Amino acid sequence: MDRYLSLWAESLPQLLMATLKITIPLSIIAFILSIVIGIVAQGLRSSRFKPLQWVSNIYVWLFRGTPLLVQLFLIFYGLPKLGITLDGWTAAIVALSLNTGAYVAETFRAAVASIPRGQFEAAQTLNFTKLQTLRHVVIPQAVRIALPPLGNDLIDLVKGTSLVSTISLIDLFQAGKQIAARTFEPLAMYAEVAAVYLVIFTVLSILQSYLEKRSNRYMRSVHA
Amino acid sequence: MLSVEGLSKSFGNQHILKDINLQLNDGETTVILGPSGSGKSTLLRCLNLLETPEQGTLTIEGDRLQFGGKLSDAQVRTMRQHSAMVFQQFNLFPNYTALQNVALAPTLNGKLSKSESQQLARDLLVKVGLEHRIDSYPDLLSGGQQQRVAIARALAVSPDYLLFDEPTSALDPELEAEVIRVLIDLARENRSLVVVTHNMAFAQKVANKIIFLDEGRVAFDGPAGDFFASDQPRIRQFLNIFDVVSSAS
Repeated sequence: MDRYLSLWAESLPQLLMATLKITIPLSIIAFILSIVIGIVAQGLRSSRFKPLQWVSNIYVWLFRGTPLLVQLFLIFYGLPKLGITLDGWTAAIVALSLNTGAYVAETFRAAVASIPRGQFEAAQTLNFTKLQTLRHVVIPQAVRIALPPLGNDLIDLVKGTSLVSTISLIDLFQAGKQIAARTFEPLAMYAEVAAVYLVIFTVLSILQSYLEKRSNRYMRSVHA
Repeated sequence: MLSVEGLSKSFGNQHILKDINLQLNDGETTVILGPSGSGKSTLLRCLNLLETPEQGTLTIEGDRLQFGGKLSDAQVRTMRQHSAMVFQQFNLFPNYTALQNVALAPTLNGKLSKSESQQLARDLLVKVGLEHRIDSYPDLLSGGQQQRVAIARALAVSPDYLLFDEPTSALDPELEAEVIRVLIDLARENRSLVVVTHNMAFAQKVANKIIFLDEGRVAFDGPAGDFFASDQPRIRQFLNIFDVVSSAS
């Protein structure tokens, strides 16, 4: 046990460094971009112009329908064949944002679809413009509905960042893997890596339930 | 004045309204009656353009729309200013308090400043007996209270015609009574109300005019007294159902 404790104490700084330099910034940047992509995809999908709907639908179909690992490899190893060479960091951001964006687009679609028709009719009868309806009726309600699944999208994204170890980035998982190879202690090292992911997950869960409570403050069913 | 000429509406190949003609006078309460599926709600929704008729014309206070071609957004918005709908399911905005629900439209429509809208909303909520629930969110209100907020919200856009689509059908009798009281008050103030309802007591007590729809056509259009005294077989048959129900309960 002492052996493990000292190994953990020695390796933790390196793992935390990799977490702070790669895993967390990658997650934050990719999540922000994926929300932007999700909003754009949902916007295109609700446009009246059919070709725009197709673009959005094909995008979601492609990125939900293929594994993140394959997307990473296509972008990092495949695109250079077309003359587009991205470094590992950029390729990771592109792949993770596009992948998560497809899920976020689905989340937004479901949220908007679950707003009762009567809400739109009330806005119509009061003569709201489309923009006012969006601002005062659709967005506030869609955000409340979308928060729990968005939290799940983020958590999947954080765990998905472990795949960037395959394209030469030294993230939390890759740092642990290297130490495990050097010390021949795979059990101790991967358990430590798992524990760090769990800490991140726990912080995100607490944040998620705080935001959900805040956004549900006007609903009796969740007050009780 | 509100008048409808030759109005028709279908959903798919189902002809819901067939060549409807009617004329409503300002300051009167009109109750639209009819068996279910007769097109009552659809007719009401056409008046507020929540449904777009295929044919006919709608004229409210001098503004006239001819259906059949494409209507511009501006045309629809202009016509809609003349009326406001109160829905069976209330349809309050759950993310806003009672006061915000009522104050929102006059502010957004640019008719009143924010503080004027809030004052108006406060007055209207007092009028419907909800001064103590001004800052409550809809989810914390009873159905009857929600419907009274919805009535205040419709009043806040100062419509010429207030339209009620089965306003008490989702309420139990006690809550129904508190909403009906508000409707009676509005009728006594000589507002122009158009009400689709199954509440015969309300129709008998308050209606100036009854429109009876049967299979998408106007089967009766006249003073309420004449309707309830009518010996037309179709009307008697319809009224008998309610007699049976009311004597059984």
